[in-house]
Amino acid sequence: MNEMRHHTSRRKLLGTGAALAAGVAMPAVLRAQEPPKPAELIVRAWGGVWVESLKKGVSDPFTAKTGIRIRHDLTEDNEIKPRIWAAVAQGRTPPIHVNWDTTANATSSALRGVCEDLSDLPNLAKVMPLAKPIGFTGVPIVNLYSYVYVLAYRPEAFPGGAPDSWMVLLEPRFKGRIALYNDGIGFHPVAQVLGGGKISDIPHNMEPCWAFIRKLKEQKPLLGEDPDFTNWFQKGEIDVACTISSNAREAKLKGVNVAWTVPKEGAKVDTDGMWIPKGLPANELYWAKRYIDFALSTEAQQVWLDGLGLPGVAPGLKPPADLVGDPSYPMSEKDFERLILIPPRIQAEHTPEWFARFKEIMQS
Amino acid sequence: MAPFSGRSDRRTGPALASYRFSWRVFDVLEALAAQWPARAMGLVKWFLLLPALLIVGLLIFGLVVMADASFRVMDFRTYQLSEHYSTANYVRLWGWGAFWATLWRSLGAALLVTLICLVLAFPYAWALTRTPNRRLRRVLLVGLFLPFFVGQVVRAYGWLVILGYEGIVNKALAVFGLGPYRLLFSYPAVLFGLVQYMLPFAVLMLMPALAAIPEEIERAAASCGASPLRAVLRVILPMARPGLIAAALVVATLTLTDFAMPAILGGGTNDFLANLVHDQFFRTSNAGLGSAIALVLTFLGTTIAGLLLTRAGTQAFGLRGTS
Repeated sequence: MNEMRHHTSRRKLLGTGAALAAGVAMPAVLRAQEPPKPAELIVRAWGGVWVESLKKGVSDPFTAKTGIRIRHDLTEDNEIKPRIWAAVAQGRTPPIHVNWDTTANATSSALRGVCEDLSDLPNLAKVMPLAKPIGFTGVPIVNLYSYVYVLAYRPEAFPGGAPDSWMVLLEPRFKGRIALYNDGIGFHPVAQVLGGGKISDIPHNMEPCWAFIRKLKEQKPLLGEDPDFTNWFQKGEIDVACTISSNAREAKLKGVNVAWTVPKEGAKVDTDGMWIPKGLPANELYWAKRYIDFALSTEAQQVWLDGLGLPGVAPGLKPPADLVGDPSYPMSEKDFERLILIPPRIQAEHTPEWFARFKEIMQS
Repeated sequence: MAPFSGRSDRRTGPALASYRFSWRVFDVLEALAAQWPARAMGLVKWFLLLPALLIVGLLIFGLVVMADASFRVMDFRTYQLSEHYSTANYVRLWGWGAFWATLWRSLGAALLVTLICLVLAFPYAWALTRTPNRRLRRVLLVGLFLPFFVGQVVRAYGWLVILGYEGIVNKALAVFGLGPYRLLFSYPAVLFGLVQYMLPFAVLMLMPALAAIPEEIERAAASCGASPLRAVLRVILPMARPGLIAAALVVATLTLTDFAMPAILGGGTNDFLANLVHDQFFRTSNAGLGSAIALVLTFLGTTIAGLLLTRAGTQAFGLRGTS
């Protein structure tokens, strides 16, 4: 269906890069030379189920292993970014040690040159190649898992079963009852397909995408952010939404009757990662790297990502029982065939322009 | 300028014990002031103004930094602002529909919310300043100040609970077989939230002006045959002009620059300029374009304030001299 899908082929994702395996285990002599431990590390995270899962799967076990306390800073990823950029530009110590970030957002920081190189993380050689971003010298960001922008829906609104196409968003009965992200994130590639365009035309010709979004505007969509979707489903404000599967799953776990699907046109898949800002003292940089390395381990990812219901990059992970066979938890080559990945670098370089077009349509 | 003649008295006996600490502080200050050269007395007023000048100076410094950024273009391949200056950000704003839509929406809200607040605030402030009933005055005062203890965001979320699809109002309407209706996530919903938020500010600004109008004036108007309505329209309102101008100034500028109400009650499609600024700085990391919008917003707010002050004159606030 699209020319960028090769980025998500199962073969590539599962190729563990055995050639890189040599020399990855941390020599015992290096452990003996570990630098002094800081009292705490500050890790930026998203709130709600996101930070709870991180704490349970990564932060608490890391503290148990190293004795270093982890403080979670819940400043929004977009808001911490300019603070980090300013600190690096002014030669100050950055406000956090580890930034848990969307890969697209992190890529803008990598392009600006404020990320430390993480290519020496031992666990990097054991995980899927997806963990390393494409198109950079070194590894400024480590991708940790993928997630899918699914079509989440209220089953009562679909008595005949799950919708099989995103075109349901245009049905008159859902006027004022649909929701998207307020910057259109996650929906652009799908809109490009629905508008009759090709994924390969992104980013140079996205007129089909904008034409479809103009049609969608007539449906009076609500535009929000992650917590809004759960809230809106809970409060009965919406029937259908394009949101990441974790939000729909969180709403379902809270007792809201919500289901989700990957329609026949496909759905966008993205990744989240972690990176370390430049400017940390050497010992803190070392332990921040150790934190990210631990987050790459199967041991940490199994617990952490079970909480989020997302497929990680570590080998041998088992999906949570409720997500076995779920299209938003891709495990097989066939699952990935239905997903659309836009390279983060293209996203980072064009998001401002896409955002401006989306705003122009939705605010006018 | 001897601050205290009996220095030795303070060191002995009951005089020492009774000499308050605050007096000692003032003694020191006065002693220091005595060292101030008489020729430099003219500088004192500037020293007194120093904190205010520092704050205003910081504000101006921030504006200069933003003005500088607004003439630089973000390169999204490196996420760095350009070294050279250009008017590209302003040219882009000129042709960007989203900017004009949010600008007119912000200005429209500033106008509507100000008018509604003045109409609603006047009788409230009038009742508060004129009622002889102490209990009623207390209730009105509590009603005025209570909202200040609840932040704007909390109040906005309160409206989500009340006006939501499954909220209190729709549940009440359901009892009569009506609804549910979409009461949130629209421009009227944003205006409603803003009026509720701004009303206490308007009352607070109007109260001193109304309190300063002697009640005898109203009696005089009545004795001259003016009906109560005529007395209000022809006598009280013109005399309350300083309060009305001050209230309009505060409400209009706060509304114009509001962020939270459109963000929470607007459903993502009713943004104001402040939301657009936030998006540029924090969502797309475009400090250049964000600065340009912020400067336009500052210019608009300043112009509104300037027009109101020009119209009313600074003497409307009881200041000496002419505007």
